[in-house]
Amino acid sequence: MSLRLKYQTILTRLAPAGAVGVSLALGAASPAAASEPPTGAQPSVTEKEKVSERLAAVRDAVTALDQTRADAAKAEGRLAWGNWGWRGGGGWGWPNWNNWHNWNNWGNWFRNW
Amino acid sequence: MTSDSVAQTMPQIQLLVVQPTPFCNIDCRYCYLPDRSNKSVVAEETLRNLFSQVFASGWAQEGLSVVWHAGEPMVLPIAFYRRAFALIDGLKPTGLAVRHSFQTNGTLIDDAWCDFVAEAAINIGVSIDGPQRLHDRNRVTRTGRGTFGKAVAGVRHLRQHGVPFHVISVLTPESLAAPREMFDFYLAEGIEHVCFNVEESEGDHRSASFAEAGIEDAYYRFLSEFWRLSAAHPGRIQFIREIDDAQRNVIRPRDATFFNQLATPFAITSMDWTGNIATFSPELLGLKSPLYDDFVLGNINRDRLVQLAERPLLKRMRDDIDAGIALCRESCEYFSVCGGGEPVNKLFENGSFATAETTYCRMTKMRATDLVLDRLERIPGFVEGREAALPSGSASPVL
Repeated sequence: MSLRLKYQTILTRLAPAGAVGVSLALGAASPAAASEPPTGAQPSVTEKEKVSERLAAVRDAVTALDQTRADAAKAEGRLAWGNWGWRGGGGWGWPNWNNWHNWNNWGNWFRNW
Repeated sequence: MTSDSVAQTMPQIQLLVVQPTPFCNIDCRYCYLPDRSNKSVVAEETLRNLFSQVFASGWAQEGLSVVWHAGEPMVLPIAFYRRAFALIDGLKPTGLAVRHSFQTNGTLIDDAWCDFVAEAAINIGVSIDGPQRLHDRNRVTRTGRGTFGKAVAGVRHLRQHGVPFHVISVLTPESLAAPREMFDFYLAEGIEHVCFNVEESEGDHRSASFAEAGIEDAYYRFLSEFWRLSAAHPGRIQFIREIDDAQRNVIRPRDATFFNQLATPFAITSMDWTGNIATFSPELLGLKSPLYDDFVLGNINRDRLVQLAERPLLKRMRDDIDAGIALCRESCEYFSVCGGGEPVNKLFENGSFATAETTYCRMTKMRATDLVLDRLERIPGFVEGREAALPSGSASPVL
């Protein structure tokens, strides 16, 4: 199975929970601190792939899911994605405003909506 | 984006950083601001010149965030801000949203400030570095006394008045080793929105953290454990900037590109109390550089804002920043999550804007990205590419 399909399988499961639900799921997937090795020593399930390839595969998976959801929503006459945030509707606004690290963007979400 | 295409596009100011005074009532050990004992105050005429030109320029058509910072904003009286905000309201075009924000050390927050913050709908960020033993290591008065008691009293005032706020905590090697202690502190103080900065090298300050062996892995482990703790206590910590940003930058559609505000002319525009104007990383204003004329493009009391876009200094800085971004694009696996990094860190870590990787970006961009990718790949079912039960505690959508 391709890397993109692996991510797509996972994201299909996670996406209906919305941005906060995804974050909770990913946070809960963390091993406890005491058992976590440093990143360099961490066995990766995708260690043959470069980071850029992993990132590209995630984005391809998101795009494919987006299209699938949009097609389904169109057929059913409803909005796609609901509160899943990558289109700026409910959690992870886009584009990324205010990436100055001495400030943060939570107070500026009003721009995105 | 090339320099030519930037030159042909009207700048869009998204964030305006205004220094009401360079003075700060405390003296943090890692502070990079060189002029923090100077008690000068920006003149009303300087504010009038700034905002009238910003609004007349057409450079702020999509709304404007104004951050009062780079000195402690609350050392000035509330009356100063009442006058300033009224002035700005009188100048701004109808329908343009202007949102004021303070980044404060919190030590001066009292009931009167809380009432004013609520009344003026000011976004408040409080700098507090965690529990007392960690906070007081660096956030001290000029006589070396810790400021924790006053800072946490300020946070409690905000909570008692129901004023929303976020906290920015600077992480040091000591706090990186104590994610549980940091987490427990935020929970105990009812802090729900947290941002983590790292102690970085800027200006004359040389980061002790960056010199530590293993600091990048320590950062990864800190974020990982903090995220795990947050997920185990749903609804308590509502926002972790570094985690939210990393997720948004990783899990996004293919066609969404990163906009690097810190490398885009005037997207962030900074003005010091004298009216000097700078752009790119706000920290640049106030730092010294013979090569870049101390990063000052002009002065709002003497120059026209729209003409600053044509200054040779801006082109020189932009060319070097663009060269650095090009290096990042060619050489960095993580380019798509940060768009070329932060100019100020390149300059003060590597000696030039026209460089690529920094310790700052290895920590805050690369390790945070690794963390999100690693977590995605640890969701049950990933390896097999099959559906499987989610980890416990993650089933309920919260939004």
